[in-house]
Amino acid sequence: MQPKLKSRVRCEDQDIGVLTKVIVDPLSHELSHLVVSVNGAGERQVPMGTVQNVTDDLVQLRLSSSEVMALPPFKRDDYVTTHEVEIPHLEDHLHVTSGEVLVPIPDLEKNVKRRTFFASLTHVVGLFIGLPLAFPVLKYLMKPMYSPFDNNWLKIGNVGKIKADDAGTQFKFKRKIKEAYLPEAEIEKNVWILKATPAVLEKVYQGKDMEFRDATGKTIWTNKKDIPYVAFSGKCPHLGCGFKWRQHKVLGQVFLCPCHLSIYDASGKVLDGPAPRPLDPLPIQVSASGEVQIIDMEFKAGTKSQTRIV
Amino acid sequence: MSHTPPTSPQPTIIEKVFDFVDERVGLKLLAAKMLNEPVPGGSRWAYVFGSVLLFIFIMQAVTGVLLMFYYVPTADHAYASTQYILHDVDYGWFLLSYHFWGSTAMVVCVFAHMSQVFLWGAYKKPRELIWLVGLALFGIVMGFGFTGYLLPWDQRAYWATTVGVEIMDKTPLVGDFMARFLKGGATPGQMTLSRFFVIHVMVLPAALMGLAGLHLFLFRSAGPAGPFRGTPEELKVKTDYFFPRQIWKDIVGMAVVFACICALAFWEPVVLLEEATPDPGDYHPEPEWYFLFLFQLLRLKMFSGEFGQFLGAMAVPGAFMALLAALPFIDRDPERNIFKRPIALIGWVVVMAAILIFTVSAIINREFLD
Repeated sequence: MQPKLKSRVRCEDQDIGVLTKVIVDPLSHELSHLVVSVNGAGERQVPMGTVQNVTDDLVQLRLSSSEVMALPPFKRDDYVTTHEVEIPHLEDHLHVTSGEVLVPIPDLEKNVKRRTFFASLTHVVGLFIGLPLAFPVLKYLMKPMYSPFDNNWLKIGNVGKIKADDAGTQFKFKRKIKEAYLPEAEIEKNVWILKATPAVLEKVYQGKDMEFRDATGKTIWTNKKDIPYVAFSGKCPHLGCGFKWRQHKVLGQVFLCPCHLSIYDASGKVLDGPAPRPLDPLPIQVSASGEVQIIDMEFKAGTKSQTRIV
Repeated sequence: MSHTPPTSPQPTIIEKVFDFVDERVGLKLLAAKMLNEPVPGGSRWAYVFGSVLLFIFIMQAVTGVLLMFYYVPTADHAYASTQYILHDVDYGWFLLSYHFWGSTAMVVCVFAHMSQVFLWGAYKKPRELIWLVGLALFGIVMGFGFTGYLLPWDQRAYWATTVGVEIMDKTPLVGDFMARFLKGGATPGQMTLSRFFVIHVMVLPAALMGLAGLHLFLFRSAGPAGPFRGTPEELKVKTDYFFPRQIWKDIVGMAVVFACICALAFWEPVVLLEEATPDPGDYHPEPEWYFLFLFQLLRLKMFSGEFGQFLGAMAVPGAFMALLAALPFIDRDPERNIFKRPIALIGWVVVMAAILIFTVSAIINREFLD
């Protein structure tokens, strides 16, 4: 039982005064001392260890009255009240007040039925405000996420630029894009074109013509297996960086992606590194005069199979 | 309050104003509550990181607002407006560089703060919720870094975003939706820039302020954990209040961090690369240094192929974060002394060593690319 304020304090020989304050240890939250107002002789600080017994209105000490009087006077300036200091959960441990402090409940709040119902109703009304917004907001944010593919042919240069067989040559081109309400803008892109020898061509097409279909399954274009020009999308199928045609110490001339070091041979086959699939061939046409046209496509990176996203 | 000194008979006008506000708001009590918090075992330099993080965030907010006076978040003006800030606006180079290095300081201090809490065993009961909210704050800081990186719209920005969003695309089921949602389309463009801008300057700051407030509230509710060694008597002898000793250490920590950021901004100011285009040219894409270890991880043969990539980009980092979140619920031993928690100590050393090794090997790898 914790002592109560205003309790009488009794020594071994006689009553000595009244309990006026208690002192709490800020770390353990335990009472450490009692402050006793000695009848007409100031205040003394008594350690909890000397308390023998606590009853409803009496604190019995193990000390004699002369021993209490011999204790140093209580120094108020060494302490702050619990209101002026931040000690979490202190009130959970303390029951020193002499009683509860009460305020009356307003008449209108007495005997109100269906409190839980009203609390739930608040949440229901909240849902009625929030739910109808969820779908429009989602659709609002989703507006630009999906757009149809552009299957127009783009002129990107002349094959006269290609100096050697089975060597990657970068063709840079500009592509017009139209985003939402914005004026049409031009972005720079690139593809890699290969003049392939029959052996490499065989590795790219594996003896079959390559068909490109649109979302409905209709064929847009077919790359014939015996046309020696192959175009690879400039986007690395690993995580979408731009790869280069480089000399490799061991593997010779290869396509190398500087991001995560995926390495592909001239036919686009993965030789080393983390890439999950070969380079992505694009639809290509070469005119009699050597002008190259492609359909610009991009595929999702990081997947084994091709998923077109542009 | 009986121990406050008696006011002079003729209060000055300032005292009158202060008393007027105090009477209505309770300023003195509020200040007392804020400052008189017992720190078990006394103030320490190890405890400065939380306050330092708050300071860094405030400075990021201030410099960020200032940058927005000139910055234009459109694909055709973002690069030019950033260059204008760097080269034409008085002290623009300094504010932008401060903001850039401030983000690095944020990541470093988040790391230090989390390590300290981990090593001190301060995530244990009753502080589990502080730890969880802290992890969410860690995610927000990473989100700040990721979204802010795109805004200058140079090649570095464009490619870091391209790869980052492709990684997100690998999330099971919702990956494609998330990636398109963030990009506002199939490839990075104006919609991506708009989205990243709004997330960077509105969504994340609001989330961070809310969660940081909750973090502090929970911290104050549970109280500081204190050192992991020492008897209650020893702790009691060394205990002091938050003010003045801990606040002194905190303000010194803030001043040191401020000086470091200023020095870095001065000697290594931000320099942009070419304007962003989907053609990388000769640029070798690389993320910011604190993501280098993840970047290097994805180069490993064991994380090759579709499944390997899912492992490296999603499963391993996801499992690590899940483990951190579950930590206070798995590790229920009340022992907080790190020298009596061998698994925790070894785990921390291994993670730090792995991050270090991967970061260094990513740096070494650079030489072989040209």
